[in-house]
Amino acid sequence: MAAFTRCLLLAAGLLVLSLAAVADQLPPQLTYRALPTRPFDAVRTADEAEKPAVEQRQRAVLEERYDLSDRPIPSVMMSGGRKSVQGGARVKLPQGVTWDSLAQMSPDEIRRSNLFPAGFLPLPHVKQATGGQVFPNNQIDEIAKQENRNLRRFDVDFDLPERFTPEFPPPIFLSSHPELGDVSRGQLLTIKNYYALMVGLITPVQMEGLRLLLTPFPQEEFNQTEDRKSADQSLGVTCLDCHSNFNTNAAFHQTPDVRPQAARFRLDTVSLRGLFNQQIHGSKRSLRSVEDFSEFEQRTAYFNGDQMSAQRKGVNLPERHDQTAMMAQMQNIIDFPPAPKLDPLNRLDPNKATAEELAGERVFMGKGQCAACHVPATAFMDNNMHDLKLDRFYPVGATVNGLVIIPEGPIKTFTLRGIKDTPPYLHDGRLLTLADCVEFFNVVLSLKLTQDEKNDLVAYMLTL
Amino acid sequence: MTRILAVCGLAALAAAAPALAQQTGVGNPAATPAGTPERAPGMPAAHEPNDADRIFAREVLIGGRAEVMFGKLAGERAHGTAVKQFAERMVQEHTRAGDELMNLAKAADVPIPEGLDRDHRTIQGELDKLNGAAFDDAYIRGQITDHQQTAQLLEFEIGSGQDPALMQFAVRALPVVMRHLQIAQTIATETEGVASRIMPSEKHPGKQEPASNGGAPPAQ
Repeated sequence: MAAFTRCLLLAAGLLVLSLAAVADQLPPQLTYRALPTRPFDAVRTADEAEKPAVEQRQRAVLEERYDLSDRPIPSVMMSGGRKSVQGGARVKLPQGVTWDSLAQMSPDEIRRSNLFPAGFLPLPHVKQATGGQVFPNNQIDEIAKQENRNLRRFDVDFDLPERFTPEFPPPIFLSSHPELGDVSRGQLLTIKNYYALMVGLITPVQMEGLRLLLTPFPQEEFNQTEDRKSADQSLGVTCLDCHSNFNTNAAFHQTPDVRPQAARFRLDTVSLRGLFNQQIHGSKRSLRSVEDFSEFEQRTAYFNGDQMSAQRKGVNLPERHDQTAMMAQMQNIIDFPPAPKLDPLNRLDPNKATAEELAGERVFMGKGQCAACHVPATAFMDNNMHDLKLDRFYPVGATVNGLVIIPEGPIKTFTLRGIKDTPPYLHDGRLLTLADCVEFFNVVLSLKLTQDEKNDLVAYMLTL
Repeated sequence: MTRILAVCGLAALAAAAPALAQQTGVGNPAATPAGTPERAPGMPAAHEPNDADRIFAREVLIGGRAEVMFGKLAGERAHGTAVKQFAERMVQEHTRAGDELMNLAKAADVPIPEGLDRDHRTIQGELDKLNGAAFDDAYIRGQITDHQQTAQLLEFEIGSGQDPALMQFAVRALPVVMRHLQIAQTIATETEGVASRIMPSEKHPGKQEPASNGGAPPAQ
């Protein structure tokens, strides 16, 4: 009888539930990009007028979160030997706590006391409501010089100081020619010079893939329509405008996989080095092949996951059986930078590594739990996505410079090979140095590392 | 106890307002209605709403009104103590927030909707027929859906609105709505075994949480 009553109650509840589920249909503007309502000139004038305030607001966010000073690690250079690696934890601590005292607190205590460092929270886009691709000045200047193509936006500038971005242009290492080392000749690969730089080194199929990866196609902010953010009618952008020389220049964007716009988290461009070992692609989408990713980026990186907008502005869909395959084959011969202290299984060679680096590897494999996901034998990845459950540490729903902070859910594990070459860190670039990463995971995973162990971990990661 | 918490929450919400004025970005002017009066180039004059502001105000005013009506009904009908307390909190906080939004909408000359929309009237009719545990279940599950929808609408306003006062209202309200959603989910976990992201002990309605202070972002 009780069970029967319970069933009736449930049935009644479900009736209301099903009605509630159709109640209050949300407006379509939460999902779809609105069409522009004003002429281009009016939009540009408004954007240019707002720009100083936009830049100032983001600068205030960065200065509140980070120590942005120039403190390179002595005699540690990125793989091309042109740029120092910045050191020290740069995330600022809330008043009244130290890294050690924070690491002793439980997630609940940190949340209730509002003590999660602001620099550990998602990093907003410079202009969240508009979003889109933003390139660093070095890339903009070099593309203007070589191709006379404009990558500068009139509404926003790149926000991070150059010392926290990868060296430019980065070196290129080919998995098909390890003996050659860097084959970039210190140049940025573009549609102008790619053939001269690569003929004789790569196959015809790879060459055609490279050409496609360097050919500009219309993109949400760079196109011919009134809904663009470049002053001139733009030919568009190329894959390698963000993935400079198949590494990254720290150009950023927003995730194509979340709506509404205010909740779309920032994406820091990922390096394409070692793509041959990567089984899942896209920080949220978990696409299963480089071919899929190369094909679908025309819908996502280029047009925010909005096929309607793509169709209007001029989408380029590479032919699957031919063009996409060639693009993938070029990407799949890009190697990590050499790591001479690692053995074939990616473990440190004790005859080559220092005591500090070896100690760091022990922490990495043990107390630090880094290797649970960053497995050395599989290029410091596990080809999985994980949810760090950061919302244990902060109240959900705050807004920072237009970005609504909600839990980000599962994000893929990124490789740590060549990690010193690819600041800033985490999928959105919220951590500026490797020391920041150590402090972040020390808190998030409640590791309680000593200062020596933290230093050792950084020394170890510099060998990767 | 609930009353005290609710009042504290609203007081903190009001106090946090000036700091949060900085938290809304400027929107994409491409979506600004042509001919919008500007106080400076690129800056729409005060109380110049766009379509997003109007849609947001309408939906949230109706939704908030429904929260208060359903909350009062739950105050009479609810079976469980936690549901009753939650309903009381909904009545208090949504009355206050609704009044504030109404004033902002009037200042911006946004049309004020009358009564409930068709969907909320349907839910009201169904709730009217229920009693006891069945009422509690239907009310809480409906509250979860309504707060999910409201959270999305607030995020929509933060990203797409134009009237700074309405956008700042959304910034202040969002953490509170997220907190309401968490509490409703907790009740559904405790009474119905619904899976929840956070352990019930971490977010029991009786415990003070930072989100109820208006969600001032930590150290920002």
